[in-house]
Amino acid sequence: MLADRPPFEDLYRDFLGRIYAYVRAQVTSSADAEDITAQVFMNAYQAYERFEARNTTPAAWLFRIARNATLDHFRAHGRRERLRRTIEHQPVSEHDPAGMAEERIQYRALLAHVARLPERQRDAISLRHSGLTFEEVGVLLSCTEDAAKMLYHRALKALRESAREEMA
Amino acid sequence: MNDDDDLELQALQRRLDDAFQTTRPRAGFEDELWSMMQARRPLWSRVGDFFSGLVASIREAPAVPAAAVAVVLVVALGIGIIARSGVHFGGAGGAGGAATSNEFSSTAQGASRSAGTFGRLPVPAAVAASAPPKLANPSNDTGAGPASAIAYAGPVNLVWAGQFTVSITNAPVYRYYEPSPAEVDQFATSTGASRQSGSYAGNGFVLAVSGTNPASAREPSYAITPDRSKLPAPGPTAVDTANAFLAAHGLVPMWPYTVTTTQVADVVRVLYLRQFDMPDGGHAYLVDPSGERYGIEVDLRSGQPLQALGPMLLYLDVAVYPVISADQAVRSALATSANSAASNVPTVRLTSVELVYALAVAGDHSFYEPVFLFSGTFTQNGIAYVKRVIVPAVGP
Repeated sequence: MLADRPPFEDLYRDFLGRIYAYVRAQVTSSADAEDITAQVFMNAYQAYERFEARNTTPAAWLFRIARNATLDHFRAHGRRERLRRTIEHQPVSEHDPAGMAEERIQYRALLAHVARLPERQRDAISLRHSGLTFEEVGVLLSCTEDAAKMLYHRALKALRESAREEMA
Repeated sequence: MNDDDDLELQALQRRLDDAFQTTRPRAGFEDELWSMMQARRPLWSRVGDFFSGLVASIREAPAVPAAAVAVVLVVALGIGIIARSGVHFGGAGGAGGAATSNEFSSTAQGASRSAGTFGRLPVPAAVAASAPPKLANPSNDTGAGPASAIAYAGPVNLVWAGQFTVSITNAPVYRYYEPSPAEVDQFATSTGASRQSGSYAGNGFVLAVSGTNPASAREPSYAITPDRSKLPAPGPTAVDTANAFLAAHGLVPMWPYTVTTTQVADVVRVLYLRQFDMPDGGHAYLVDPSGERYGIEVDLRSGQPLQALGPMLLYLDVAVYPVISADQAVRSALATSANSAASNVPTVRLTSVELVYALAVAGDHSFYEPVFLFSGTFTQNGIAYVKRVIVPAVGP
């Protein structure tokens, strides 16, 4: 193992919750979030031999895998259901009582609003609030740090409007 | 952007921070996923980890005599490679004060499929049961095992006043997966039963099989009940009768055990207390969440079997984990102390410690994990109690 590469178990322990939260903000149920999170860490585990710490941070590396896995999930399952919910402006469905109990109910609605944002805005919010720097967000979204900041602030305002509309 | 706008967006950012920081997967997901990841690794990789981990642990313990290292290596090789051995060893030494037997070799705790590491281990229910209970509801129970002392489950203040006699540095952890319907059918067939209208029955007996019970922390188990009209003649002793009954159904334990008997009213219970082999050649008992040893129970009335209950024979994977230090173990045990000045909270001197095994359930698979069982006796209102505290013996 390279000296600059922490044991994978440390990464797993440090990032599992953050990756799950990031994924959970994108998808419709905690079950989907668990599936995708599992896929993220399976992929990461297999690819860790090739991870080069000098090229990227572990956080950026893991969130890139998470973002790709989430996009794969949407491609595989289609966006019809997601689009329908967006149009109807329904809250995100949640059929898992245990999951409901585990998650802070007061924040579920907020994450549901995040999930309805356009893809890049949703990513900017989710990645930033998962602890990534704007520089890391920019790398993941293929834009500059300044562009990532602008994208984030537009997303923040869009989120506020979305929440206001629901309250109205 | 005006000041109000600014404040509103800042508030929204704080809410987002909170939302992302408090959204976490359900309890148990972390352990389940880690175990799944380990299970999907190639076998050669897991075997490699197993042996490199073993070598590393031996390097970390330079004081271990060469002979002990050789024993550990032999046992590890046996666990890792041999699946089911027919080698029979002699007696296991008389614990429990009754007949003692050891039916199977050190390598055959059922069977071993592969060597490797299981990653982070879940905490056995027995450890959770040792956590300090609420002060408002002190209680006790009478336990279910062979010990006559009354187990105390209420809050106590703990003091360590014993000699830490366990010196082992590595211990095996065993894992099984829930048996499939086909495996249950196979087990039923091995007892002489077959599926009949949703249940199992054979010539002169019925068989029930249940999966792991997380609430009681019990592994997949069977209950076999003979037809009273078709009972064999009683043997010379209760143990002989129980042995014959188990042998007739192919249920004689394939793991090490000691035998003891108890009597409640007109029922004699023959207990085959399960043990696990340790790398130092010793054995460690399996205990339930209250710290009572258990295994197979055969109840007899008028010298004839009423029912036998016991764990299904399961294929076990094995991995070796380093055992925590004596200091860590004692600190963990004392951490369960109520630390209360209330007059109704007794102070108990823990005077003994034993390495035992306890079940930890983790979804579709479970682990037999080594734990330290601390105990001490005390008297309250003229009644003698035993207080048991169970703490993990290996890191997570």
